[in-house]
Amino acid sequence: MAEPQETPTGRPAGVIHDLGYRPYAGPRLGNREIAWSFFVTGLRNTFGLGRSGRSKVLPMTLFAMMLLPALILVGVLVQAKDVLGLDAQIVSYSTYPLTTQLLISVFVAAQAPALISRDLRFRSITLYLARPMPRTVYVLVRLASLAAATLVLIGLPLLLLYLGGLLADLPAGRETGRFLGGMVGAVLLALLLSCLSALVAALTVRRGLAVAGVIVVLLVSYTVVTTVQGIAVGTGHPRVGEVAGLFSPFTLVNGVQRALFDVPRATPTPPEGAAMGALYLAVVVLVVAGSVAALLARYRRVSP
Amino acid sequence: MSSLSAPVHRTVVRLGVRSVFGRWRGVLLFALPVVLLALAVLVRVLVGQDRLAAESTLYGLGLVVITPLVALLATSGLLAPEIDDGSIAYLLATPVPRWQIVTSKLVVALGCVVAFAAVPMLVAGLVLRSDDPTLALGFGLGALAGGAAYCAVFAWLSVLTRHAIVIGLIYLLIWEGLLGGLLSGIRWLSIGRWSAELVDRIGGVFLVDDLPVAYAVVALVVVTALATWRTGVRLRAFNLTGDE
Amino acid sequence: MSSIVVDHASRWFRNVVALNDVSMTIGPGVTGLLGPNGAGKSTLIALMSGFLAPSSGSVTLDGEPLWRNEQVYRRLGLVPEREALFDHLTGRQFVVACGELHGLPDPGAAAQRAIATIEMTEAQDRSISTYSKGMRQRIKMASALVHDPAVLLLDEPFNGMDPRQRLHLMELLRTMGAEGRTVLFSSHILEEVEQVARHIEVVVAGRHAASGDFGAIRRLMTDRPNRFVIRSGSDRTLASVLLADASVRGVRLRPEGGLEVEASDFGRFSEVLPRLAREHAVRLHEVTPTDESLESVFSYLVSS
Repeated sequence: MAEPQETPTGRPAGVIHDLGYRPYAGPRLGNREIAWSFFVTGLRNTFGLGRSGRSKVLPMTLFAMMLLPALILVGVLVQAKDVLGLDAQIVSYSTYPLTTQLLISVFVAAQAPALISRDLRFRSITLYLARPMPRTVYVLVRLASLAAATLVLIGLPLLLLYLGGLLADLPAGRETGRFLGGMVGAVLLALLLSCLSALVAALTVRRGLAVAGVIVVLLVSYTVVTTVQGIAVGTGHPRVGEVAGLFSPFTLVNGVQRALFDVPRATPTPPEGAAMGALYLAVVVLVVAGSVAALLARYRRVSP
Repeated sequence: MSSLSAPVHRTVVRLGVRSVFGRWRGVLLFALPVVLLALAVLVRVLVGQDRLAAESTLYGLGLVVITPLVALLATSGLLAPEIDDGSIAYLLATPVPRWQIVTSKLVVALGCVVAFAAVPMLVAGLVLRSDDPTLALGFGLGALAGGAAYCAVFAWLSVLTRHAIVIGLIYLLIWEGLLGGLLSGIRWLSIGRWSAELVDRIGGVFLVDDLPVAYAVVALVVVTALATWRTGVRLRAFNLTGDE
Repeated sequence: MSSIVVDHASRWFRNVVALNDVSMTIGPGVTGLLGPNGAGKSTLIALMSGFLAPSSGSVTLDGEPLWRNEQVYRRLGLVPEREALFDHLTGRQFVVACGELHGLPDPGAAAQRAIATIEMTEAQDRSISTYSKGMRQRIKMASALVHDPAVLLLDEPFNGMDPRQRLHLMELLRTMGAEGRTVLFSSHILEEVEQVARHIEVVVAGRHAASGDFGAIRRLMTDRPNRFVIRSGSDRTLASVLLADASVRGVRLRPEGGLEVEASDFGRFSEVLPRLAREHAVRLHEVTPTDESLESVFSYLVSS
C-alpha cells in the first residue's frame, strides 16, 4: 500500500495506489487475424448466430424458405425424372435466384442495416475506430461479411440443386459446368446486392428507414425493369429492354450469365451480342467499384 | 385551436407534416412517384397508347409497389421514430384523446398517399392512355383506397412493435407479393387485390378474377376503420418507461 | 392542492420485479425520490405519470386513476428523462405546440410565461437541435409548465447540468413547491435531494426503503455501525486507547497491519480519533471508511 507523503506545508500530497493493475503484455495477433475474426463474427451475426434468439428468426426463416423450393425441385427431379422426361434441372441455376429474388431482397434489406447502420446509429463505430484496425479495413470487412452471407443464402440452394441433379443421374460434366456458372452468377449477385444495400444502409442511419430504402431500391428497380422489358419485347424494341436490364441487379447478373455461359433465358430481353454482354459485365464492375468507393467516402466523414 | 371533439387535432397534424419529411424519407417519398411518371412517359414514347402496357405499368409498378411503399414510408415516419426515441411522450402527456392523435397522424399519411401515390397514378394514367380517362381515374381511386387501408394497418403495426417496417415489408413482399402470385386464395385477404378490384370496376379492366366488388369495398373500409380503432386503443394503454 | 397516492403498487415484467409493494403519498411541496440506479425510480415515475399500469395495487391522483385517463394531464406536468425532442422546431414553437395540445385558450402567452420562468427567452427562437443539454432540459420544463399544472413530475432532472443550471433549477423547484404545487423529482445523488426537497422517499431494489424528511433519514443512516480501516505508527497503542472510548464498538488488529474499527457514533468518533491519536503521540497514516458507499447505506436501510 502506498504511503501518503507530507509536503513542507504539512498537507499530504496526491498518491496513486498500486491495486495490482497490469496492462496486457503478452503476444498479440496481427492485423490479418483481427480482420479475419471480424469477418467471421460479421458473417455469423448476419444469420443471428452469436446473438440473441430473436435476431435468428428472420434470417433463418428466409434461409429455410430459400432452400424449400430447391428441395421440392430436387425431389420432383429425382422421383419423376423418367415419368416427366426431364433431362436437365427444372429451374436452371441461373434462373433460381431470379425466381426467389423477393426472399433475397428481404434478407439483404433486413440484414444490411443490422451490420452497417447499427454501428453508425449507436456510435459504437468509435470503438472500432479507436482500435488498430484501419477504417478502410473495417468497411471492407463489413462488406465482405454481408456479401459472404448473401452468397451463402443464394449459393446453398444451388448446391442443393446440383447434388440433387447428380443424384438423379444427370450428366455430371455438364451439370458441374452449369453449376459453376451458376455460382459465378451467385458471387456477382451477392457482391452487387451487398454493395448497394450497404451504401443505402450507411447513408440512412435509422434502421427502419434503411430497410425501407433498400427495398425501395431493389424492388422498384426490378419492377420497372420487368415492366419495360415486357413492353419492349411485346412491341418490337428488344434493344430498349436489353438496356433496361442494366438497371436491376438481378437482371444485370442474369444478363452477364447469359452472355458468358449462354444460360437459358429468364428475362424477356436478355442481352444479345458480344457488345451488349461486355456492357453488362462492365456495368457490374462499375457499380461494385463505385459503391465501394462511395461507402469508403461516407465512412471517411465519420468522426470518432 | 382545436376542440377535443373535432375529428383531428390541428397541432398534431402540423407537427406531423413537419416531421414526415425528415432526411432520406422525404427523398424516397419524392423519388417514388417520379419513377412512376418517368416510366409512364417512357412507355408512352415507346409504344404509344397501348392498353396492356398501360395496365401493367399502372398495376405492376403503381398499385402493387409504389402505393404500399408510399403508405409504409409515410405512416412509419409519423409514428415509429417518435415511439422509438420517446418524444411521443410530449403528445401523450396531454388531454388530447388518443383516437384524435391517431386520426391526425393518419390524415397526414393520407395526404402523402394522395400527393405521392394517388395523384401521380392519375397523371400517369392520363399520360399512358389520354383517350381513356376512366382508366386513370380508376387507378387513382384504387391507389387512394388501398393507400388508406395500408396506412391504417401500418400505423397499427407501428404502435405494436419496434419492427413495424420489417413486418410491413414482409407482409407486402411475401404475403401479397410472393404468395399472392402463387395462391389465388390470397385475394380474399390482400389489400392490394381489393384495391385492384376497385380499379377493375371503375376503370373497366380485369386485374383480379372472381372477387366481388362489394366484398372489396367493405373489406377496405372495415380494415381501415378496425386498424385505426385498434391503434387508438393501443395508444391509450401505451407503456413508456424512462429508461429504454 | 393535489396529491398522488401509491397504494401497494407492484410492477413486474415477466420474472423481473421492478417495484415491490410500494406505498406512499406525494403531497404538496417538493418531494425527492432517491435511490441508486436501477432501483425502480423511473418505473415509479412512469406509474405516477400514467405511462405504465401497476401489475397490482393502484396509483391515483386525487382519487382518479392515472392509467388510461387523458384528462388527468390537465393537472399533471411531466419532464421525461429521455433527451429526444422535436428537433426541427424552435424552442418557442415547441412550447406553444404543447400549449395548444393542452387546449389552452392563449397558448402563445402561456408559452411566453413558461419560457420566462425557465429563463430561456433569448434562445427561444433558435432551433432545438442547436440547444445544449441544459437548455434542452429547461425547454422540457417549459413544456411541462405551460399549462400551469398542480403536479409536476421530473425524472432525473439534474442529469448533465452544470452547477449554475443546477442552482437555478433547484431554486425553481423550491418556488414551485412554495406555491403549493406537488413536485416530485428523482435522483440518485443525496446532496441534490437534500438541498431542495423537504420530504424524501427512498426506493432501493424496487422496495420502498425509507420515507421522511431529510434530517430523519440522515440520522437513520448515521445511526449505524461505521467501519474504518486505520493505519498508524503504533497500532496496538491506538487500539487499546480507542477501545476505552464509548463511541467505539470493536477493534480488530489486521494481520497485514492496521486496525479495523467499528464505531457506533460516527460524529463522536470522528472527533475523538484525532484527539486520542495526538494525546498518545500516535501518527495516523490512513483512515479509510469501508462502508460509506451509497449502496451500502441503502442496503442498510433496506435490511432495517
